[in-house]
Amino acid sequence: MRFVRSLVLLFVITVSLAAALLAVAGFDAEADFQEAIKALGARDYSTALSKFEAALAADTDNIRYGSEYRHAVVQCKQYDRCLAFFEKLLANNSKAANAYLNYGFAYVDKIPDAGAITQVILANNSLTLFSKSLEIRPSWIGYYTRGNSYLFWPKIFNRTHLGVADLEEAMKMQKTDKKRNYHVRSYISLGDGYWKMDQPDKAKATWLEGIRQFPDNPQLKARLAKTGDELKAIINEAYDPNKRVDTNLQELWMNQ
Amino acid sequence: MDDCTTNMPRLEFRINRQPSRSSRLRGKFFRILLDMKTVLAGIGVSLFGVCVLLAFSASGADHQQKWFEDVTLKSGVARKHTNRAFKNPYAEIMQGYTALGAAAAVADYDGDGFEDIFVTDSQENGKNHLYHNNGNFSFTDVAERAGVAGGNDAENASADALWFDYDNDGRPDLLVVRFGHNQLFHNLGNGTFRDVTKEAGLYRYMNAITAIAFDYDHDGHLDLFVGSYFQPINLFNPNTPRFFPESFETANNGGGVTLFRNNGDGTFTDVTEKARLKIGGWVLDLGHGDADNDGNDDLYVACDFGTDHFFVNNGNGTFSDKTAAALGIDTKKGMNVDWGDYDNDGLLDIYVTNITDDYMREGNFLWHNNGNLTFSDVSRETGTYDTGWGWAAKFFDYDNDGWLDLYVVNGWVSAGKESYVPDIFEMIVRPNIDLADARNWPPMRNKTLSGYEKKKLFHNEQGQLFTDQAARHGLDSLRDGRGIAVADFDNDGRLDLFVTNANAEPFLYHNTLPTGSHWVEFLLEGKKSNRSAVGAQVRVASGGRNYLSFVNGGNGFASQSTCRVHFGLARCEKIDRVEIRWPSGIKETLKDLRVDKIYRVVEGNSKAELFNAKIGRKQ
Repeated sequence: MRFVRSLVLLFVITVSLAAALLAVAGFDAEADFQEAIKALGARDYSTALSKFEAALAADTDNIRYGSEYRHAVVQCKQYDRCLAFFEKLLANNSKAANAYLNYGFAYVDKIPDAGAITQVILANNSLTLFSKSLEIRPSWIGYYTRGNSYLFWPKIFNRTHLGVADLEEAMKMQKTDKKRNYHVRSYISLGDGYWKMDQPDKAKATWLEGIRQFPDNPQLKARLAKTGDELKAIINEAYDPNKRVDTNLQELWMNQ
Repeated sequence: MDDCTTNMPRLEFRINRQPSRSSRLRGKFFRILLDMKTVLAGIGVSLFGVCVLLAFSASGADHQQKWFEDVTLKSGVARKHTNRAFKNPYAEIMQGYTALGAAAAVADYDGDGFEDIFVTDSQENGKNHLYHNNGNFSFTDVAERAGVAGGNDAENASADALWFDYDNDGRPDLLVVRFGHNQLFHNLGNGTFRDVTKEAGLYRYMNAITAIAFDYDHDGHLDLFVGSYFQPINLFNPNTPRFFPESFETANNGGGVTLFRNNGDGTFTDVTEKARLKIGGWVLDLGHGDADNDGNDDLYVACDFGTDHFFVNNGNGTFSDKTAAALGIDTKKGMNVDWGDYDNDGLLDIYVTNITDDYMREGNFLWHNNGNLTFSDVSRETGTYDTGWGWAAKFFDYDNDGWLDLYVVNGWVSAGKESYVPDIFEMIVRPNIDLADARNWPPMRNKTLSGYEKKKLFHNEQGQLFTDQAARHGLDSLRDGRGIAVADFDNDGRLDLFVTNANAEPFLYHNTLPTGSHWVEFLLEGKKSNRSAVGAQVRVASGGRNYLSFVNGGNGFASQSTCRVHFGLARCEKIDRVEIRWPSGIKETLKDLRVDKIYRVVEGNSKAELFNAKIGRKQ
């Protein structure tokens, strides 16, 4: 009996210790994150990046930490440092789906500052990492991100249909979820995907469905207001690899 | 048309007044008079109608007529270019990267007053052509007779050509630029040439693709700048497979630039290192121009697979690489360099073509000269950004309106329906690939890469914007264009075009612009300066506008245009002032010149003389 009581006690102590350690780690991660944000505000990029990296080391799968880290990296153009950091981080934690997502975005972030051929290599690398994220944990953001990325590839690479498939999956997921502001993105991109696959009717139907859900969205309004070359110009501009894509993921945790 | 439009209000006035007068008319006399008036009015109305129709049709002609006529066949210059087919173990791979060598160079080699054309072929044993201008827009190939036809054999493939008077004897000599050994032909003045490559010290294996000549050290002799694409490994029998570009964006294992200083005694010395021009880029074109108007010609080097270079001429026999400060480091595929003052601000600007396609949106550079040895790319703002897979591009004023227009040719390989793009990208995304190893590159076979592209004729809308007029003028061919030689082949003041195409026939386009816009051309002869006056700047003031141009020594990919300096003067019938700054530094001002004339000006003689074709400047 005493033995059983001892075992229970040991178990309770172990669990408590683990919880305490995790709490401390979480606390430390959040503290580092806040310090990073503060340093970023002061344009002290060196401190900011180090603190973000410390926060991510303690809480690898935190999508917000990763997103804000990349946001800082874009400001100081330290792309290669960021890529090297994620590579090392994920070597020790290969199950962090959100970290893979941010790692993929780190490649996307570098694209506008790269040459035309490197852009292709970076885009290809990012797709591999988005796929890895989806393998670990399928998610709306994973499907939306990979699907949207495929749409940047010129038609000749025959990847648009893959993008449409991903975006349809994202659409399915969001229809079983509560309505969130960022869900409008799927309507826009899926419509664009159909348009790129020469299915203008399906494109328009998707954008119309989107505008019913999100009546004030300017991108949907613009697409629905134009036809022919004007519509083509809007879509081409949206997928211009030389223009920076806003990869900040704050919509996921703000105002939803 | 002007007279007609001036008459219009008077006719309207008569017609409007006629009914009120008639109401006051009484009696037969007046009735007869009225009838006569009616008849006259009727005639007036008819005349008015005819005038309106004429006015409309004339204005329609201005805006719709085609001003270039394809005269290739009837002029006798339609011989096809054929790419070199290599026979080494990498031949199948090289085929996709050596669709080059269709070049043309213009000069009046025999001094008869009409510009002639040297045109290259590249196939093994293919003959190069020297088209003698017969003066009536017909040409005769005299290359064999002249001794300059043999530019292609098992160990050499022609890539470009350059006329330059290296010995200041007043006769343009000919350099044939080759993958292999270049050839220098001395013009003997009797319609024949002698190969002097070895005695000139130019016999050296180079995979050269471009050359220009200018007097970088102001010693009165034209120096030779040669750009090479591949390193000097024997492409016909390579001893290594590692001769391809090591990177698509930062390759530094190309052939670079070689500067041969003209010793003034018929020989040349390699002074590349001494002049601080050593680079390892995959050079495709060179262009010289005086960027800061200090009297020293600077140098722009367009490189494939990596950054272009901008060298400032220090005026002491050396250059400084100012690329980072002047342009910034780029990763694009520079193909062409041409200098011209497109916005008439008195500073020479630069146009460079790159690759722009769905799979690679690099965009061209229109480098606007900021006047402080820096340039800003304004290609997007001016509409000159996208010309596909660009090759030669030339500034020239085709409508003589006083603004430099741009003609751009393009297209890499136009072959079968299947695209080569997926193959190349499959290679690119392979991890740790050794791009320098030719064996890693996929063969192109009959696939197409950026083929069947329409050429662009950009009309300059007063230095702000360019609009494409190629289709209107029939200049939007789909052939794989390479070089553009601009010259006034019939001495009528309208600039014509000779366009080379890879693996295809060239085009000779005769400019048939309706008369109305004025022009003036200058043929300069140096005395203290190099005799061809390469590098001389000419500034013309006319009708409140100022124009700048210069004698260029071969700028533009796979081509050399006329060494005459041409100005369009729009409707201005008076030339206020002409100022020439010779390469020697001497400045001369010319007055009392008339429009629509070609003048010959000799350094030190401020009186320009009218240039007579056929009589010419005999040697």
